[in-house]
Amino acid sequence: MSPKTYFYFIILGWNMAEDVITVKDLVKLYGDVRAVDGITLAVEKGEVFAFLGPNGAGKTTTVEIIETIREATSGEVGILGMDVKKDRPQILKRIGVLPQEFSSFDRLTVEETIQYFSKLFCADCNTDHLIKLVNLEEHRNKLYINLSGGLKQRVGIAVALVNDPEIVFLDEPTTGLDPRARHDVWDVIKGLKKEGKTIFLTTHYMEEAEVLADYIAIISKGKIIAYGTTTELIDRHFKTVNVTIKGGSGGVAALAEKMEMAIQSQETGKITIEALGNAQIVEFLNALRANNISYLSMDIRKPNLEDLFLALTGETLVEKEVAK
Amino acid sequence: MNIQRVMANLIVHLKQFSREKSTIFFVLAFPILLMLLFGFIFQDTGSSVGALYIQNIDGGAHSQMLVGAFNGTGVFDVTMVDNTTDANNYFSDNKLDVLIVIPAGYSDSINMKLANQSLPQSNLTILYDQSSTYAQTKISIVSSVIDGMNKGLSGSVDYIGIEMQGQQSDQFKFIDFFAPGIIAMSVMSSSLFGTVGMNTELRQKGILRKLATTPLTRAEWLISNILYQMAMAMLSTACILGVGMGFFGLKPHINIFMFMFILLCVFSFAGIGMLITRFVKEAESAQAAAQAVMFPMMFLSGTFFQMEMMPGFLQTIARFLPLYYVNEGLRASMISLDNSVILESALVIGAFGILVFVLGVLLTSWKDE
Repeated sequence: MSPKTYFYFIILGWNMAEDVITVKDLVKLYGDVRAVDGITLAVEKGEVFAFLGPNGAGKTTTVEIIETIREATSGEVGILGMDVKKDRPQILKRIGVLPQEFSSFDRLTVEETIQYFSKLFCADCNTDHLIKLVNLEEHRNKLYINLSGGLKQRVGIAVALVNDPEIVFLDEPTTGLDPRARHDVWDVIKGLKKEGKTIFLTTHYMEEAEVLADYIAIISKGKIIAYGTTTELIDRHFKTVNVTIKGGSGGVAALAEKMEMAIQSQETGKITIEALGNAQIVEFLNALRANNISYLSMDIRKPNLEDLFLALTGETLVEKEVAK
Repeated sequence: MNIQRVMANLIVHLKQFSREKSTIFFVLAFPILLMLLFGFIFQDTGSSVGALYIQNIDGGAHSQMLVGAFNGTGVFDVTMVDNTTDANNYFSDNKLDVLIVIPAGYSDSINMKLANQSLPQSNLTILYDQSSTYAQTKISIVSSVIDGMNKGLSGSVDYIGIEMQGQQSDQFKFIDFFAPGIIAMSVMSSSLFGTVGMNTELRQKGILRKLATTPLTRAEWLISNILYQMAMAMLSTACILGVGMGFFGLKPHINIFMFMFILLCVFSFAGIGMLITRFVKEAESAQAAAQAVMFPMMFLSGTFFQMEMMPGFLQTIARFLPLYYVNEGLRASMISLDNSVILESALVIGAFGILVFVLGVLLTSWKDE
């Protein structure tokens, strides 16, 4: 959703024709805890919308309210022009959901699982097409219990598609998967996007949002703290590029200060400097050469969503594992 | 209500069951093993242990002495049968193993023989179950009592004789008592643990959350579960009856009342299972709670032991347990055909089953609290 659309959304009201999901002032209280604290958002037809935030930020609560399986304390939620409180049966027929930590019946095969959920929707689904779409042809006759985590998630995505939904909700689709399985699931999601599905993706993986999403809303402590495309978000909040020099021969810090470049961090053998765009980087490289300052390596990196989240909240998106 | 969705659920449960060996064992093999084990241990034990039925048509002094002699053995618990009743009918109707008939004129006949020893002896008639080894034991004790009487009367001549009449009896055996109890117990455990296990497992795995995002309604889900539990109950009942009839000569009356009690048992214990999983969220805790419900009920409700063997206060407690009425109802409908017990049991377990099931339905939620 473009900023312009968002402007219309805020100013003109939330029931716009091209928005297939509209949420306004959504609040969910658990006792005194505000799990969702006044969230407003809109998702356009055909876009991949990523809801990015750390565990416990309120992502799943929000998405489950939108999916109609949880009730809001207050606020309005519309899907495909319908109200989640009044039109639940109609909404369920037109959306597909991969819940967080999806699981299915252990002793059903992949094919039987897809057929079972298809019958619940009374849908005449093309099982072969779905199995092919999620790349499970080789595993169609395997029992669910014998599948790996990545394959199980792909079954979950196939199950979310049995009713040919207009909107697909994917709640943490790659949590707990190894990198290869994660990329396989990403390929499946990219395939769905090509088929024109609207995808509402919740994740705490910055890279996942960057790779898949057209539009990102970052949530922390029940509130949306930033929204836009990845580029918009980074450009809006960061004007500099980080240049990290390792093994410098001395004088790097002094040169940076002389060129009025901010030093972001400095430790033995490693210094990170903030550059105002490519022109200043080139200028800095020339100055290093002119001053005969040698170094072992240089890393130039634009800030990412992780940096943005850190800058906005002082916290990291993915919790670091505690050493045991 | 959508039949396709109900059937889809039912088929999934049946497929899961057919592919889960441990579940098959507990639903089918376990009650069969219990039947075989207890059946073989107690196969010769009648429900009338120590009971001796006597019809004293004569009523004279010698017949009274004879009855007194049987009482005096300390082995028999003598029950007198009305002397206007047809002995053969009474024997078969009450499924006795031994019935002694003291004929009219028995005392006079002995008195006459005492005066003139050339007269014939007085014969008692003993109706007995030919298939019962326990009847043989009773008859040998009866014979020794009569020998003692003969010796007391003359020392040499037999004044009293025995006319044996073997009967093809449907005497109540332990298996008649035990088989309905095992059916009630296995239906209770499969409905209770089936419901608890399914609900907690599906909730913990998040499958219930996924189902909540489909058009499947709570009513469709519950009905398919009950149908599944009914199928399990019928399957285990068929196995138990098969073993009872094949190995132990069980001859049950299979009628609408038997199916009614099985259905009510499913509703009652599936309902209790729903209530347990409503209040106990963790799978292990829910299983423990189900066991806490099942085990006391199993032992106190007359599944394995006759209620009369228990102390009075435990018998009173038993009458507050739903399984007691399932046991009583099944025994009355399958074995004794006692209509008053069928009616009483059906009313109690029916009311309980409906109450618990409705509460379970109302309190079961699709959504996470």
